[in-house]
Amino acid sequence: MNPSSSAPREMVYIVDDDPSICEGIGNLLEAMGIATCSFASAEAFQAAWEPDNRGCLLLDARLPGMSGVELQERLEKYGVGLPVIFMTAHGDMAMVRKVLKGGALEFLVKPFQQDELIHAIQQAFEQDRKRRAEQAALTSIQQRIDRLSERELQVMARVTAGKLNKQIAAELGVSEITVKLHRRKVMERMEAASLAELVKLCEKAGFPNKPPATDGK
Amino acid sequence: MTHQASEQSAKQRLLAAVRPLAIACGLVGIALLASFPLQRVIAYPFVFLFFGAIMVSAWLGGAVAGLWAALLASLVVNFFFIPPLYSITVAKEAQTFWAAFILCAFVLAWVISGRQRAERLVRQANDRLEGMVLERTAALERSNQELGERERRLRELTEAIPQQIWRAGPDGALEYLNRPLRSYLGLEPQQPIAEQLAEWVHPQDWPQLEAAWARALFAQESFEAEVRIRSGEGLWRWFLVRGNPQRAGDGSIAHWYGIHIDIEQQRRAQQGLQTAQEDLSRLSRTLTLAEMAASIAHELNQPLTAVVTHAYACREWLRDDRLNLERAKTTAEKIVQESTRASEVVRRVRRLFQKESPVCQQVQVNELIEQLAVLLRPEAIRRNVEVRLELAEELASLEADPVLITQVLLNLALNGMEAMNGMATDAVLTIGSSAAEPGYVQIWVEDCGPGVPTELAQRIFEPFFSTGKDGTGMGLAICRSIVEAHGGRIAVETAASGGARFQFSLKADA
Repeated sequence: MNPSSSAPREMVYIVDDDPSICEGIGNLLEAMGIATCSFASAEAFQAAWEPDNRGCLLLDARLPGMSGVELQERLEKYGVGLPVIFMTAHGDMAMVRKVLKGGALEFLVKPFQQDELIHAIQQAFEQDRKRRAEQAALTSIQQRIDRLSERELQVMARVTAGKLNKQIAAELGVSEITVKLHRRKVMERMEAASLAELVKLCEKAGFPNKPPATDGK
Repeated sequence: MTHQASEQSAKQRLLAAVRPLAIACGLVGIALLASFPLQRVIAYPFVFLFFGAIMVSAWLGGAVAGLWAALLASLVVNFFFIPPLYSITVAKEAQTFWAAFILCAFVLAWVISGRQRAERLVRQANDRLEGMVLERTAALERSNQELGERERRLRELTEAIPQQIWRAGPDGALEYLNRPLRSYLGLEPQQPIAEQLAEWVHPQDWPQLEAAWARALFAQESFEAEVRIRSGEGLWRWFLVRGNPQRAGDGSIAHWYGIHIDIEQQRRAQQGLQTAQEDLSRLSRTLTLAEMAASIAHELNQPLTAVVTHAYACREWLRDDRLNLERAKTTAEKIVQESTRASEVVRRVRRLFQKESPVCQQVQVNELIEQLAVLLRPEAIRRNVEVRLELAEELASLEADPVLITQVLLNLALNGMEAMNGMATDAVLTIGSSAAEPGYVQIWVEDCGPGVPTELAQRIFEPFFSTGKDGTGMGLAICRSIVEAHGGRIAVETAASGGARFQFSLKADA
């Protein structure tokens, strides 16, 4: 899950029932130094998919069996964030609207220009990287939060809610000194240099997912 | 009450007993008084006077009064007029006279009272008879009145019922139309109903109704027909006309009763459905065309995409910084392969649209036209167009594909109807055949629309040439290609009516 470490290469997963299309696109992308992997059907792609597959999906809208549109819906449903570029041999506006609404990145009408394809792929890769980075950051923050003790979580919730040490001490029924101690520990463990940074981290992780117990009294 | 009643009846009884006596006394008294003065004028006046008194008494008071009068008269005559006068005794010489007088008096009283009774009885009988006659007359009048009232109510019902009803005689002649029917037809209440049926019914539907009527009259059975009937305002509405015979006791037909049921809404709904169906089929036809285009595009785009991507790849492989001649060569091979595949697609599509030669068989043109007229009927009714056929009697058969020829005819007929759109009346489409040109059979379709301008006469047969808003411009082009595939010619000219006359000729069998 770490974006910088030894993860598989970014790849364009081509799904088209016409092998000559897969071959042509594969050939072009290979010439441009982009790795590809072809599938003749949506089912074949689904079977081969791994959670750490990176890159993007170049998907034909019309496929035998499960259609491209259906595959996209399934990806959406199961939270697979792989960016999708659609391609089709006939521009059906209703379908274009539908897949773009469904979160597709781009819709290419065959035959497409090299620039169009490359631009779309680059965009998709960018999006995938950003998504992965975000996901990784989120995982890391979550890991840090998981390391905190119960009392530290209570303190952090109140600190990020903008409460003074004195108030927190009163709420938790401890001394102000103890609160200060917990607070330092939280900053350390969350690897936050300032209060602002801590707030940002908590926001990203969605912490606290329930409102802090200010109404505890 | 009973006491009073009995008292009254007793009084009546007394009166009944006293009355004859009183009458007799009174009259005899008058006769006596009248006798004295009259004695100086005539001899023995008392005889007539007393007899008169007895007669009147008997007449007025009946037998009892008569007898009383006879008795009194006898005594009074004895006392006053029979010697010795003023004595009850009778002189010997007067005894016969007195006896005769008494006899006559009693006989007179008896006879007159008998007469009087008979007379009274006759009168009473007469009175009873008269009373009975009066009673009967009143009863008769009453029942007559009731009958009239009942008939009036019945008539009111038939008049007030919101249905159109008529009655016809056994021979089918209309006798009565109820108010709703009259008002629908726009007839004055008292306007006579002559044989106007044919005027009210739409000329296109009249033969059907006439036939149904004739059949019903012959078979003496009920009939029904769906026809358009013109209202007083000149509008046509669809009606279901139903006639039922009403039989007399001996089983013969006494009357025909008919009812007109308004089915305009139903018909419209039906027509709407038909129109919807037509739209649907037209839509599906265009859809099929669009689908076909999409499928061809897809078929062609696949190899083209492969060609283009390989070409881009080839260019990449040949770039200085990553030159790979081997890959460039194989990629060029791929380009050739895929291009061939694309041209294969094009060839396949062309084969798909290649004209097939018609399936020829012996065709009777008149039969085709008659079949077509049947096909056209619903459309003609919907568009209010009359279709006329003018078929040549002796027409040679010919070799043709009947389906294709029918398609040409249908196309021309529908075009003709389209051209007459918006004509309020007298939209007539004539389809005819002729053998005027030797060795050929001529078929023509003529409308009375605005016609085709001469400068367009050639161009309208070109593909995609359309004057209509929704036309594809293919109809006449297809017609021409079908006619020409049969070795014939098609042309348009201006008809005598100013409309368009499309005419094509096909080679006849030798």
